[in-house]
Amino acid sequence: MRTVSAAETAPTTYPWAIHAEGLRVRAGRHLAIDGLDLAMGIGVHGLLGPNGAGKTTLMRSLATVLKPADGRLTLLGESVDGRADLRKVRRRLGYLPQQFGFYPRFTVREFVEYMAWLKEMPKTAVPGAAQRAIERVGLAAKAEARMKTLSGGMLRRAGIAQAIVNDPAVLLLDEPTVGLDPEQRLDFRGLLRDMGVDSCVLVSTHLVEDVVAACTDVVMVNEGRLVYQGTPDGLVAQGGEGDPGDSPAERGYSALLRHYRAGAGK
Amino acid sequence: MTRILNIELRRSAALGTALILFVTGVLLLATDRAIFTTGWIQLAMTQRLYLAVLWPLALAAGAWQASREHRSKVAELFASTPRPQAHRVLPTLIAMAVAVLSGYLTMGIAGGLWIIGTAEYLPVAAFAVTAVGVLALIAAVWFGLAIGRLLPWRVTAPALGIAGMGLLLLIPGATRPHGWLALVFSPIYEMNMPGAYAAVPGRASIAQTLWLAALAVTALVLLASSGWRTRMAALLPVALGAALAITVMPHQNRFVNDAIDPVARELTCTEDAPRVCVSRIHSGLLTEVTAPAREGLAVLAKLPNAPTTVHEDTTIYFPDSYPPRRADTVLLDVETGDDAHLADRTDVWMKVVAGAFASPPDCEMSVDPADRIAAAHWLIGSEPAKASEDFEPEDSERAVQLWNDLRRLPADKAKARVVALRQAAVNCTADIGLFSKSTP
Repeated sequence: MRTVSAAETAPTTYPWAIHAEGLRVRAGRHLAIDGLDLAMGIGVHGLLGPNGAGKTTLMRSLATVLKPADGRLTLLGESVDGRADLRKVRRRLGYLPQQFGFYPRFTVREFVEYMAWLKEMPKTAVPGAAQRAIERVGLAAKAEARMKTLSGGMLRRAGIAQAIVNDPAVLLLDEPTVGLDPEQRLDFRGLLRDMGVDSCVLVSTHLVEDVVAACTDVVMVNEGRLVYQGTPDGLVAQGGEGDPGDSPAERGYSALLRHYRAGAGK
Repeated sequence: MTRILNIELRRSAALGTALILFVTGVLLLATDRAIFTTGWIQLAMTQRLYLAVLWPLALAAGAWQASREHRSKVAELFASTPRPQAHRVLPTLIAMAVAVLSGYLTMGIAGGLWIIGTAEYLPVAAFAVTAVGVLALIAAVWFGLAIGRLLPWRVTAPALGIAGMGLLLLIPGATRPHGWLALVFSPIYEMNMPGAYAAVPGRASIAQTLWLAALAVTALVLLASSGWRTRMAALLPVALGAALAITVMPHQNRFVNDAIDPVARELTCTEDAPRVCVSRIHSGLLTEVTAPAREGLAVLAKLPNAPTTVHEDTTIYFPDSYPPRRADTVLLDVETGDDAHLADRTDVWMKVVAGAFASPPDCEMSVDPADRIAAAHWLIGSEPAKASEDFEPEDSERAVQLWNDLRRLPADKAKARVVALRQAAVNCTADIGLFSKSTP
């Protein structure tokens, strides 16, 4: 049980949770996102692409950490540019960065509560929301353990717990499955499906299998541009017998990338 | 917010900071207890003196705490959250302020427990002096937080600590000959070895408060700022605070050192005779002084016109001020020892007897100390000690010689010489010694 705010029950007035048009974002001097058009709504979206494709830069700009250099980016109907007041959007964001930083002396519960406070959740909602988030990632037994004592997989789960503590409308997870064992990955897929019922979840990963198993939608980028957006079945259909890969999805991924590279080389 | 504050109190550097300040402070107090055992104002001033160490520690603690976000690499995660930076530092600010406050106050309580049995006189100034000390530490820890955020490196904390200590040590030299300027900017200045009747004038504390509060506000502005323009605005409170403090502080050197608390210096006396009086600051020692002082008076009773009361010698210098001299009163130095009780308890009665042969301080022909010791010991009937804390070694040695000479005389002749010496002391005609030609 939790209190539902008026803002949450209000009908959405925007067609897409995430909408980018001609988006350009710099990573240092390099233009890592270069003219990306992308629209995503409710559901679980798997973000695929080779190293250096701009996945993390895209995640960071969607998390409002990086400012777009050019183009338009709209999150939850609010324009995100240099001047906008981002507080309203940020309250409804959940973000697990690739390099998850945390306070090692805090317990799991303290850190999740601290993050809930940073996300400006109502004071009375914080303890319950933290407990629920910790339970959802299966860390209830470790709630009172210091962050510095957690193993890699537990840390990743604590990172997910802080990301979902505010029931975000946009949840951005950058390589959340690193360090999880096979069983935990299965649990995690269940959590993703749950979250995807009423939020826009974007999961960046190298594991094509995870995407096929848990995502309603596949987004593939390369060299800062959109290569493919469609269903996992659509991704599988791209692959043929001759494409490298150990599964139909992997073969589809290889085929898409090869087509794109061939097209770019022209 | 209270929930987050509780977390910060437990998990930030607050607990460690409080503990370090407390332990360091108590160790410093323990090194030389006689400095602060006299009373509450002396304890408060000695705590302020030890800010020489605690203040740089608070600076370093603040800088260390501020580097937490950098050390933990949470910038990326926190940048995606709505709460502004100024809100985020608020629980840390409060936690660190609570830490230095409790560290300093528990240090004061430890010192207070040491003296609570005998320290009775509690002037308001003691609270003011302590409050300024707490404010100095809060300003330091906040300033450390601000600097640590601007320069979030591991080396910042130790470097800032060393710089802070260097600053405190350099201020007196840098402001010479304007000692009052050092008093404005250094919370430790003129707090060294306060006398029994020491006072800290309210205006000095107010001026220091203005300066330290300005420093604290500057730290807050720096912490809330994000651009260089607002950071430049932080110079405003510093400049304003310095100007105000300089205006309020009297432009007078040795302002605190020369201040005397007249109430601490007033006498409080036994109700019954023979009367024994000590200053109010020493009122807790009165019962300890009374018994040996009366023993001394009993010895002196053999003399004609013997003194009948003992007063503490409340003489002060700069400006010179002596207690009134009366033939019926012996003046006695009262000092508090390391254990917060009367120092040299066993010597008190001898000092009372010797005090009967002392001349008034404005007397130009005062009695030779060796004569005083010899006459006193002849009355007591014991050999003078060869060394004593109250007299020069050569005086003690000559006193033994004189005492032997007295003993060789017939009793009535010896007594006549002792009585004559007492008369000479009272009348300030002490060119007459025990064995000078003009005595019989």
